Amino acid sequence: MTKDSGDVRDVLTNLYSNSTANRYIAATVLALVVVFSYTGYDTLVYRHDVIQNYSENNEWLVTFETTSDTMQQTVVLQDEETRDLAFDMAEFSVPDSYRVGYIEVQIVGEETAGVVSGNQCDSIAGDIVRNDLTAQWDDPSNNLSGQDSSCVPIDLRLSVYPEFDGEDRTVRSINEFQALMGWTDDGWGKGLLSLTLELDTNSNTPFVGVDDDEEITIDINVVMFRASVEAI
Amino acid sequence: MAELESMTPVAAIVCILLGCTSLLLLKRSPNRGWIDQMGGMMLSWIILFMGVSYAATAVREALEDSSVDLDFFRYTQYSFALVSIILGASFTFFYPYPIIQKASRIKAVPYFVGVLSLVLIVSMLLMDYKYVGATRIVYIPGFIILVSVYFRFLTDEIKHGDETARRLSFAAGLIIIALHGAEMTWWLAQLISINDEFIGRNAIQSGVGDYSRIPTWIGYNVMTTIGAVATLTLAAGETWRAQSKGRSGFTIIIYLILGVGLISGIADYAVLDIVNSCMNTVCNDFPESYDIWYTFTTGALVLLFTPLISMYVLLNFDVIDSGSEDNRWLTRIIVILMLLIVSSTMIELLQSFLPVSQMISSAILAMVVAIFIGWEERIMQKLIEQGESISKKLSSLKEIHEPDLDVTELEFFSKAMGSLLVFTVVLCFLYSSIT
Repeated sequence: MTKDSGDVRDVLTNLYSNSTANRYIAATVLALVVVFSYTGYDTLVYRHDVIQNYSENNEWLVTFETTSDTMQQTVVLQDEETRDLAFDMAEFSVPDSYRVGYIEVQIVGEETAGVVSGNQCDSIAGDIVRNDLTAQWDDPSNNLSGQDSSCVPIDLRLSVYPEFDGEDRTVRSINEFQALMGWTDDGWGKGLLSLTLELDTNSNTPFVGVDDDEEITIDINVVMFRASVEAI
Repeated sequence: MAELESMTPVAAIVCILLGCTSLLLLKRSPNRGWIDQMGGMMLSWIILFMGVSYAATAVREALEDSSVDLDFFRYTQYSFALVSIILGASFTFFYPYPIIQKASRIKAVPYFVGVLSLVLIVSMLLMDYKYVGATRIVYIPGFIILVSVYFRFLTDEIKHGDETARRLSFAAGLIIIALHGAEMTWWLAQLISINDEFIGRNAIQSGVGDYSRIPTWIGYNVMTTIGAVATLTLAAGETWRAQSKGRSGFTIIIYLILGVGLISGIADYAVLDIVNSCMNTVCNDFPESYDIWYTFTTGALVLLFTPLISMYVLLNFDVIDSGSEDNRWLTRIIVILMLLIVSSTMIELLQSFLPVSQMISSAILAMVVAIFIGWEERIMQKLIEQGESISKKLSSLKEIHEPDLDVTELEFFSKAMGSLLVFTVVLCFLYSSIT
């Protein structure tokens, strides 16, 4: 056997001919194996298991816990009077981690209709006026205007939080945080809720006297929600 | 602060330029030994293939927001990166210490590299590159060979007083940096085993289903482990050498990488909350300073300094005949050009986040040009004077076989690689057209 035969075995014998160097080489290979072993466990076993949880978007059930705060105001309107009212949304108490979902307004006149009472109902109109209040002004579920002349309360509704209707829903996302992400935005429901009331009295009621005004009660109900998720 | 511009187009220009020039210079250096011929050709083709891959990456980066179909560039990027990995792993069997020395086996190398490359290119194309990371496993034998060469000749130098042995340990060390430079700067992160968290983040960002493949993760872990062990091994070796022989430029480079890795590891640990935000919440962006740090360290090392290291290997170890009159002018041009391109890119990058006016950056660039022109003679003289082929050292040790090969047979490697380049481009074009 010659040193320069070119045979792979001879070449390797030459390369590993220095025993001191071989110890360092062995230590390096051992270091490679050790580092690969524990980092490999972290990467290929632990991290792989973690990542597999996200391999597909998981399905989550989003449920809403709701609460509400109300405010009532009574005003007396004269015949053919139009009155603008403003309610500061900051006056409603929103608990921690709750968001405003929607606003319900009920407008009720003082009079009740009926043969016995002999009352004839006044005509009341109420509008939620579009302004800077942060809400879903173009939501199809909104009811921003109402009118009544049969002593029935007028119900108005303004959707505030995008797509919130109080119903449970399923979403797909990689984690709980992202499933909840659409339901944790702050900033909705800030500003002034502006209402316009209009009265047109009906004063042709015999034996009762002239009816030229009306006491109107406005009930504002702010529905708030807190979303929570659970894996399906 | 302005956004940091990508270095990839510059890397593409530098690599393609250096690869082509090196092949030309090798062609004009017929009197080199077969190790230099073979090693030089392999190194030149690695650089050229990396350049083509970078060029495709640069086009993808430039057009990513447009509606242009970029499949061709994606396939080209991955395919040429793949070929350069196979070639890089094969290179270590020839340079600086050739394990394969028999004529028949040397002649088989172009076929082996060509066939293996084609098989992997086609299979990865068909599997949409889901397992492309796994191909990095091929670096393991080469790394062990390089470490063996490094310690064998470092020990010869220190224990047995063989001063000329440094040439081989130095060459092995440089090639380790050229092949594993990026991962070497992640040594601390790998040692404390936090790289898996970055892999996890990438998996979620890239779409878990396509990314979390065990073979790919094995490939990444092999590379980062090699990088960590390489840094510590070379640092230990150079410290040992510095104690008996004094520190050298290479010692300083290794300590720089060690320092960069230390800071990077601490920075990586500091951003773990951001890394894990993908799993717990949403993927938050890294701080700007973190991105800048990596652009100037790992990014610059891989994209700009690796071609410079390759050029240094080609010149300093006399792989190409830079001393001959025919080659001297071209060598000078390429050295100055590469140094200027890299310097000006670094200055431009600095300018993009430091409040330095264009007037000042132009003045700095002018100073750099003046220094290079003034020292050009000295830089070249030093490179050429120091240049001594490693085959001379191996011949003196009588550890090198002189196979019965003529120049034409060796040059067949270049023809095979040229054909592989054309074939791969056509394949990528056809595949992108039909999918």
